[in-house]
Amino acid sequence: MRIPISIMVNGKNYNLQVKPNELLLNVLRENFSLSGAKYGCGIGECGACTVLLNGRAVLSCLTLAVSANGQEITTIEGLSDGNKLHPLQESFIEEGAIQCGFCTPGMILSAKALIDEKPEPLNSEIKEAIRGNVCRCTGYISIITAIKAGAKK
Amino acid sequence: MVDTKYIGINFNYYRPETLKEVLKRLQEKGSRILAGGTDLLVRIKTETEKPAIIVEITGVKELHILEMRNELILGALVKLYEIEKNDSIKNTYPSLHEAVKSIGGTQIRNMATLTGNLCNASPGADSAPPLITFGAQVEIKNLSKKGEIVNRIILLEDFFKGPGKTVLEPGDILTRIIVPEPDKNTGSAFKKLSRVNLDISKISCAVFLERDGNIIKSIKIAVGAAAAIPVRAFYTEEALTGTIFNMNKMQAALNLIRDDISPVTDVRSTAEYRRSVAPVLVRDALGLAWKRAGGDALL
Repeated sequence: MRIPISIMVNGKNYNLQVKPNELLLNVLRENFSLSGAKYGCGIGECGACTVLLNGRAVLSCLTLAVSANGQEITTIEGLSDGNKLHPLQESFIEEGAIQCGFCTPGMILSAKALIDEKPEPLNSEIKEAIRGNVCRCTGYISIITAIKAGAKK
Repeated sequence: MVDTKYIGINFNYYRPETLKEVLKRLQEKGSRILAGGTDLLVRIKTETEKPAIIVEITGVKELHILEMRNELILGALVKLYEIEKNDSIKNTYPSLHEAVKSIGGTQIRNMATLTGNLCNASPGADSAPPLITFGAQVEIKNLSKKGEIVNRIILLEDFFKGPGKTVLEPGDILTRIIVPEPDKNTGSAFKKLSRVNLDISKISCAVFLERDGNIIKSIKIAVGAAAAIPVRAFYTEEALTGTIFNMNKMQAALNLIRDDISPVTDVRSTAEYRRSVAPVLVRDALGLAWKRAGGDALL
């Protein structure tokens, strides 16, 4: 069984055929070569596979590709405008909020969903927004600082 | 160890746009409802479940209903974040709001449905205790042999049958949750204990009470993760009903909670710990519910 779907990825429409058991994460990584979203735990605990679905942070490793039919997906690759980085990407670099980088795409996308809704988030709101994104290198202080700085840009 | 990067099994997938078509698909052997996917896909990946057919219900418009007039109506597809962001629900049903807010991280609440939390029937499902104390009902539908849609409504309290088990039979779908409007002079609160704050509960408790001056006129208490299903604390409720609210004099009644629950030892906690903390958790929830009912919680 193959099912035709139509999805918008980073602002462009695509028509493709997927198998019912294909995960959105793998379609993005393998069919679209968008490797920003990562396979971490596979069971919804780490947030490394986070993408935006219609502007909300979701886990692409727990989303069937067919379920995304007709929806808008934003990955980390869709954030920069050509050569110009998104303010959050800039602030993550400036604040040194990255070490191994594995959690960073998910972390930035969760932060983007937050500041799109609340342009001046409180520390507590930032912590709440990235509660589902696990980082094992930097600790969270520099990440929170970067999100605050990015929101102000 | 199972590879959770890919789904190892094959299944057919359908996304009907009417309830009747959903119910027809659910008559087929090995069919399974997909809504938010946060529980089902984990179980499929770990191969604890191997459905032959996935019936995604997100195309059925009527299941998206979220309506609050006198009672609160929550369709099967209402996601946790919709409850979290709803100020009317926050004001009228604070314990439900607190419980929902404490589930998972942002992404999980953006995906998962309230109905899924109930149908998954984890003894520790955080949304169950508050809904039980409000006297919530669930509407269940299936197809008769003649092919007509048949409706039944039951109390949520009677919905759970064991860990992972509910009254739902193959072919059934829970279509909506109906929560009665709380009377005046009532208050509710939800408390849980977990290792870190996005974690699954070691034990949880919801209180819903009606205040008459300084007297607890009526009270409902439900406890999660402390028995095979979320349970009412009947002994404690009975001992507290009609008594004067006074924290210093209620301890004996609160200790009865240990007889109301039957906790086990598992990965999250021990039976002994759950029994020890239960009266404290009930006390905290009771104090907050009393305050919300307009009472003086310092008594």
